[in-house]
Amino acid sequence: MARMKFLCDADRCIECNACVTACKNEHEVPWGINRRRVVTLNDGLPGERSVSMACMHCTDAPCASVCPVNCFYTTADGVVLHNKDTCIGCGYCSYACPFGAPQYPQTANFGTRGKMDKCTYCAGGPEADHSQAEYVKYGRNRLAEGKLPLCAEMCSTKSLLAGDGDIIAEIYRERVVTRGYGSGAWGWRTAYGETVTV
Amino acid sequence: MLVKRRTREAASAGRLSQMAASVAAKPLDRRSFLRASGLAVGGLAALGTLGAGMTRRAEASSGYTDLTQPVEIRTNMCTHCSVGCTVKAEVQNGVWVGQEPAYASPINRGSHCAKGASVRELVHGDRRIKYPMKKVGGRWERITWTQALDEITAKMTEIRGRSGADSVYFLGSAKFSNEGAYLFRKFAAFWGTNNVDHQARICHSTTVAGVANTWGYGAQTNSYNDIRNAKTMIFMGSNAAEAHPVSLQHILEGKETQRANVIVLDPRFTRTAAHATEYVRFRPGTDIAVIHGMLWHIFENGWEDKDYIAKRVWGMDQVREAVKAYTPDVVERITGIDGETLKRVAEKFAKERPSTFIWCMGGTQHTVGTANVRAYNILLLATGNVGGEGTGANIFRGHCNVQGATDFGLDVGNLPLYYGLAPGAWKHWARVWDVPYEYFVSRFDAVPAKGGRDARTAEKNMQVPGITSTRWFDAVTMDAEEVDQQDNIKAMIVFGHGGNTVPRMQDAQRGMDALDLLVVADPHPTTFAALHSRTDNTYLLPVCTQLETSGSRTASNRSVQWGEKIVEPIFESDNDYAVMYAMAQRLGFADEMCKNFDLVQGKFGLEPTPESILREINRGGWSTGYTGQSPERLKAHMKYQEHFDLITLRAGPDAPEEVRGDYYGLPWPCWGTPELRHPGTHILYNTNLHPMDGGGAFRPRFGLERDGQTLLAEGSWPKGSEIEDGYPEFTYALLKQLGWDADLTPEELAVIQRIGGNDPEAMGKVSWSIDLSGGIQRVALKHGCVPFGNGKARAVAWNLPDPIPVHREPLYSPRPDLVAEYPTRDNGRQQRMPNIGKTLQDANVANKLHEAFPIILTSGRLVEYEGGGEETRSNPWLAELQQDMFVEINPADAQARGIVDGGWVWVTGAEGGSKARVKALVTERVGQGVAFMPFHFAGWFQGVDQRGKYPEGTDPIVLGESANVITTYGYDPVTGMHEGKVTLCQIAAA
Amino acid sequence: MKHLLARAALALTLGLGASAPALAQVNPTEKSVSEDALFQALGSGDYVVGRITIPDANAGYLIKPDNKIWAALQGDTLHMVSIVAIVGMIVLLAAFYMIRGKIRVDAGLSGRKILRFNVIERFAHWTLASTFIILALSGLNIIIGKTVLLPVLGEAAFGTISAWGKIAHNFLAWSFMVALVMVLVLWIVHNIPNSVDLQWIQQGGGLLRKGVHPPANKFNAGQKVIFWAVILGGAALSFTGFLLLFPAEAGTPADWQFFQTIHAVTAAVLSAIIIAHIYIGSVGMEGAFDAMGSGEVDENWAREHHSLWVEEVKGSSGSARAHPAE
Repeated sequence: MARMKFLCDADRCIECNACVTACKNEHEVPWGINRRRVVTLNDGLPGERSVSMACMHCTDAPCASVCPVNCFYTTADGVVLHNKDTCIGCGYCSYACPFGAPQYPQTANFGTRGKMDKCTYCAGGPEADHSQAEYVKYGRNRLAEGKLPLCAEMCSTKSLLAGDGDIIAEIYRERVVTRGYGSGAWGWRTAYGETVTV
Repeated sequence: MLVKRRTREAASAGRLSQMAASVAAKPLDRRSFLRASGLAVGGLAALGTLGAGMTRRAEASSGYTDLTQPVEIRTNMCTHCSVGCTVKAEVQNGVWVGQEPAYASPINRGSHCAKGASVRELVHGDRRIKYPMKKVGGRWERITWTQALDEITAKMTEIRGRSGADSVYFLGSAKFSNEGAYLFRKFAAFWGTNNVDHQARICHSTTVAGVANTWGYGAQTNSYNDIRNAKTMIFMGSNAAEAHPVSLQHILEGKETQRANVIVLDPRFTRTAAHATEYVRFRPGTDIAVIHGMLWHIFENGWEDKDYIAKRVWGMDQVREAVKAYTPDVVERITGIDGETLKRVAEKFAKERPSTFIWCMGGTQHTVGTANVRAYNILLLATGNVGGEGTGANIFRGHCNVQGATDFGLDVGNLPLYYGLAPGAWKHWARVWDVPYEYFVSRFDAVPAKGGRDARTAEKNMQVPGITSTRWFDAVTMDAEEVDQQDNIKAMIVFGHGGNTVPRMQDAQRGMDALDLLVVADPHPTTFAALHSRTDNTYLLPVCTQLETSGSRTASNRSVQWGEKIVEPIFESDNDYAVMYAMAQRLGFADEMCKNFDLVQGKFGLEPTPESILREINRGGWSTGYTGQSPERLKAHMKYQEHFDLITLRAGPDAPEEVRGDYYGLPWPCWGTPELRHPGTHILYNTNLHPMDGGGAFRPRFGLERDGQTLLAEGSWPKGSEIEDGYPEFTYALLKQLGWDADLTPEELAVIQRIGGNDPEAMGKVSWSIDLSGGIQRVALKHGCVPFGNGKARAVAWNLPDPIPVHREPLYSPRPDLVAEYPTRDNGRQQRMPNIGKTLQDANVANKLHEAFPIILTSGRLVEYEGGGEETRSNPWLAELQQDMFVEINPADAQARGIVDGGWVWVTGAEGGSKARVKALVTERVGQGVAFMPFHFAGWFQGVDQRGKYPEGTDPIVLGESANVITTYGYDPVTGMHEGKVTLCQIAAA
Repeated sequence: MKHLLARAALALTLGLGASAPALAQVNPTEKSVSEDALFQALGSGDYVVGRITIPDANAGYLIKPDNKIWAALQGDTLHMVSIVAIVGMIVLLAAFYMIRGKIRVDAGLSGRKILRFNVIERFAHWTLASTFIILALSGLNIIIGKTVLLPVLGEAAFGTISAWGKIAHNFLAWSFMVALVMVLVLWIVHNIPNSVDLQWIQQGGGLLRKGVHPPANKFNAGQKVIFWAVILGGAALSFTGFLLLFPAEAGTPADWQFFQTIHAVTAAVLSAIIIAHIYIGSVGMEGAFDAMGSGEVDENWAREHHSLWVEEVKGSSGSARAHPAE
C-alpha cells in the first residue's frame, strides 16, 4: 500500500493560492475554514519563499494522540482522517498540530468551537464512499475515485506534490538535481520524522 | 494510539448524539453557514422572487456529485487571465458540480491559479445580477428584458437624434468571446461610430502600437510554452507570478531545465522577483533609461548581433548614436541602477541566448508607454532575439480574451483584424458583411467646424479614431468645443468593463452623473453601476459569463480555443450574442448585421450562433490569418488536446488526422482557408521554418525604402522560400510579375476580379489581405513565401512621436531636477481629445508638488482578483483571501509616519484632494519612497462605504477603496493609455 | 510570553535572508530560505512564521515543531498523572479504611444537636460539590475517558457522552464559579491559618489514633487545606477554563496549551483531594456527613473534632482561646 504524503516544493510555489481555492471548490468549504493555506516566509526579502500547508497526515499523528474521544484514524494509505460524529470540538488537536491544520466553525455558545474540520487528503470520512452524508461532512472522496487531492492536481507550477511518499520524494530529488538547489521538503521532518536528502 | 484500518464505520449517530451535535456545532453545510453568517442573505432572498424555472440554481450550488448517475464533461477556458487554461467541468442534471484538472491541455496541464481553481463559483452566482434592473428615482427596480431593451434602444435613438451617433459610447470587453467581440465591433459600425473600445486600451494598447510599428503585428511573438527554451529571460514591469500564475509553470520549469537566467527588473520585489536569479530595483517610470543603459553596454562592448541587424533590422545605427548619451552615470542618476549591475544584465541578455523579454502593465501604463515598448523591442532586435525558439517579445496579455478582442477591433482606431479605418478597410468589411459601403457612410455623423478645427464629412469621420476609454468621462463633462465630434458623449453602453481601472475616478464619477443614459451589461454590477449617484436612466442587464455560452477565445500566445457552454445562463441572464441581436433588432439593423449568421432560438429570443459568426470572421480575417480557424478545427483541437507537444505546441505524426501537424489552437496567423490546413504560427517572424510550417519574416508595412535604404530583408528569408531575399507584400500584380498568377484557380481569380471591379489596375492592387478567395495567400505559401512580405524590423519608427525612445520624466515626477532635462512631450490633441500633460508637469514642478507628496505610488495586480474585481470579489473562495484594500509601504517610510502593519492609513493623492482609507502593509517589497496599491477594489469611495448603492444582493463580498481614486492625469500620445504606474502621494496613519 | 519569544526568534531567522538595501541587485534564488537553515536557527519554543493574507494571525505559523512536545505531554504524561492521582488516592483511602476503619465518635452520640452550617452555607457547598463532580467527571473523561470508557461503551455511546459532557462542562462551569465565590465569602474568615492548626497537624488531626482529639475551631487544619485547595485550585481552573472557553480572546495557541496544561494538572490534583474530602465526609467518619446533610451535628462529635468552635457557640469562657480574628 502506498503511504500518501504532501510535499511542497517551495522553489516552485508562487503563492497563487490555487490549492486553497481548489480545496474550497472541491469540498464547498465555508468561509473561515481554511483546510489549506499558503504562508510566505521572509516576505519581500530576497530569501522569500512560500509554502502551501495543510494537514500533513503525520506518522504517529499528534492530533490523534491528544484527541480525548479518539476520533482520528489512519487509513491504510497513511491518510489521517477523523470522525465528526465523535468529535466534540475540544480543540486539543489544534494545540497539538505542528501545522495549524485543524479548523473549527464558530458556534453559538461562548464562541467556542464546533466540530473540527481539516484536510482529508480528498479521502472523505467514515461514511460510505461518495455518499451525500460524506460529502456534506468531509467533502468529496477523490481517493476512492482513484484521484489525488485536487490542491496538488491543480497546483499552478506543480509545486505541491501529492501521492506516495517515496514517489514524490523522488520527483523532488530529481528536481533538485536538475536545477541545483532546493529549500527542502517543508514539514517533512516534523510530520514524518525524516526529510528528503539529495 | 493510531488505529490502522482502511476505513471506519461512522459511529451510528443516535438521536441523542445528533442533538448533542446540534448544540455543539452545526454540520459543515455551506448553505446554512452562509445563511447564518448573513453572507448570502441578499442573494438568497432574491431567489424567493424568481419564477420556478429559475430556482434550480439555488440548489446548483451544492457540489455533490452522485457517482451512480451519469456525469458529463464539458470543456471551456478560464475566464480570467490570458494564459488560456482549460477548464474541465463535470455537469450533472444541468448543474456544474465539479471541476477536474484538465491534464490534456498543453497550456495548463491541469493547473490553475486561485481564480481558475474557483471559477465554478461564477455560476453559483450568489451575487450575480439576477434580472434586468433600472434605477427609478434613485432606487433599483426589477424590470423585464423586453422593457429594458425597449427603453434603452428608444433612448439611444433619441440621443442619436439630438447629439449624433458619436455621442453614444460602446465600451466592450476583453471577456467577450471572439465572436462576441467581433459582433460588438460590427454593432458599433452599424450604429455609425468609432467610439468603441475595451480593456486593451488600458493594458497593452501601447504594446500593440509599439510592437506593430516595429515588426508588423502587435502580439506576443512566442508563447508561454516556448519560454521553456529560453536561456535568459527578463521580466520588466511584469509580475507574472501573480498576474499569470500558470505561466510560471513553463517559466520555472524552463529556469530549472535550462538553468536559465531569470532577471526581474522592477521597482517592486514581486513574487516573480522572489524566483529570479537576479533582481534589480529601479525608480518607477524610468524604463527607457534602463534599456538604453543596457544598450550602451551592448554597443560599447560589441555584444550586438551584427549579422542579424544587417539582414533584418533597419535604423540600428541611429539607435547606436542615440544611446551614447545614456552613459552608466547618467543612467544611474535617472534609474538608480549602477553601471556594473546593468552591464552584467546586458551581457547575459546579449550573450546567453536565446533570450526573451517579458513585459506587462509596468511597462505599458505610462505617458511613455509606446516608447517603453519600442525600447524593449530595440533591445530584442539589437541582440537578435526575435523570430526563434526561446526568444521574443513575450507580452503577457491580461484578460482571457483581450488578445481576441484587440484582434477584432474593439478599438477606436480599427475595424476587425487591424484593417484600420481607411476607406479600403471599410470597403473590405462591407464586402465581407455584404452591405454597401455607402450604408456605413449614411450611419456616421458629419462633424461641424468647431474649436478652430475644420468640419468633416461623415465619410471622413469614419476614418477618424474615436475617443479612448481612458478619456470618456472627459468627453462627457468637457466643453463640447474641445471634443472633436458632433457633441459630447451622452450615453455609455458598457459591456463587461469595470469603471475603477482607469485613473481619476473623481472625474469618472462626475462623468457618470452627467450622462443621459448609462447601460451596464455584466454578470456583476461594476463600478459603472455603483460609483455614481444617478437616479434614473440607468440600466443593469444580466449578461452571463463565457462559461454559460459557447465561442472561441484567443490566449495571449494567439492560440484560439473553443469554449463549450457548461451550463445554461443562470437566473435571467443571457449571452452577449442574444443581447446584441435584440438591441440591433430594436435599432433596425439586425437583419443587415446578421445576414450571414445562423439564427437560432435562444433563451428569450433569436440569437446568432458563434459558429456562424466565426465562419464570417474566417471569410474576412485575411490580414491577421484568422481565416484558417474554422469552428470544426478549433473543436477538434479541444478534443485532441493531449496530442500537442508541451514545448513546440505541435501535434505529432501520431495525432488524429484532423489536428495532425497543427500548432495548438492554430495560433494566428493561420493562413488561407481552413481547407489549406495551415498549422498556425507558434513563433512569429521565424525564418527557421517553412511558412507552411508556421515560419515567417518581419512584415514590411512601412514602405519599401527609407532614407535611400531598403526596408526589405537582405539575405534573410524563411526556410523553403523561392525568393531568397526580401520581398514586399503579395498582390495580384506581384503574382503576375513572378509568373505565379497561373497557380490561381479560376474561382480564386474570379473573386480577385470582382474585388478589383474588373479594372486591371485595381485588380493588381488586390492584396493578400483583401483577397476574399485566399488564393493570393495560397499561392505565396506554395512558393515558400509569407503573404505579407519579408521586410526589416524598424529600430527607428519615424511615424511615432519619439522615433527612437528618449527618457521622459512622469508628469508627477519625484525628481523635478530631471524634468528640465527630460520633459514630457508638448501638449497636443489625440483621439478627439486634448492632452495637456506638459502644462501639468510644468505646474507640478513650479508648485513643488513632490514636497507635499513625497511618495511614488504605483499599482498592480493581486493573484486572487482580476480587473475591476467585482466578479472575483463576489466569489467567496477568492474574497476570503484578500479582505482588505491595502497599500504597501516600506518599513522606513512607515516608521517615519508612525504607521504599523495592518493599521489604517489615509493615502492622499496629488489631484483634486483625493484620498483613500486603506490598510497599511508594511513590507520590504517596495523600496523606500515607493508605495504600491492593487487596483481591483471598489465600493468605498474616499472613506465612504458605498455598499448601499449596489442593487440588493449583488454587492461584492469585499469592498475597498480604488487605487485609481489616487492616480492622476497622464496619457500616452499614441494610444491614449493612462499613466497608471507612476504618480505621487502622501500617506498618513488614520 | 512564549509567543513573544517566538517572534523575536523570527526576526533572527529573517536575518538569514539578507537585508534589502534601497536600490540593490540580488540573486533571490541563491538566497532563498531553506528549511534546514531555519530549523538550525530555531530555538526551543520557536516557530516558523510567515505572512498570510487571511486575517487569522495563527494561520501565519507554518510549522510549530514544539507542538509535538505538548502533544506528548497531553497524550502521555497528563494521562498518566490523572490516572495516578485518582487511582492513587482511591487506593490510599482504601488502605486507610482497612487499617483505621471508620472513625467513630469516641464518646458516643449525645443526641444533642448543634447547628454547624446554615442553609445558605449548605446550598453553596452542594452547588459547588455537585458542579465539581460533574465537571471533574466530564473533564476526566477528556483525559482518560478514551482509555477507561471507550472500550466499555463503544465509539457511538462514548462520543455521545463526551459531547454532552463537553456541553455540561462548558455550561456548569459558570455555576461552579458562582458557588466558589459564595464559599469564599462565607468561610474565608474561618479558614485563616493560626497556631491551633500547628497543634492539630502535630497530632495528625487525631485521625490516626483513637482517643486523640486536638482542639480546632470551626474548621480544623485539614479542612482549611481542603478549603484553600478548593479556592485556589478552583480559581486556577476557573481562570484557565474561562480562557479556554474563549480561545480567540485568550491569546495564541501557545497560550492555550499553557492554560490547558494548568487546567488539567490542577484538576487532577484537586480531584484527588476532593475524593479524600468525600471519603472523610461520608464513610470515613461517623457523624461528619450530618454537617452538610441536615446542617446539625451531634455535640459529642463536635467536641471531639471542633472543641474550640463548640466552646465558642456555647458561649463558654474558653472563648479566650479563640482565634484573634474572631
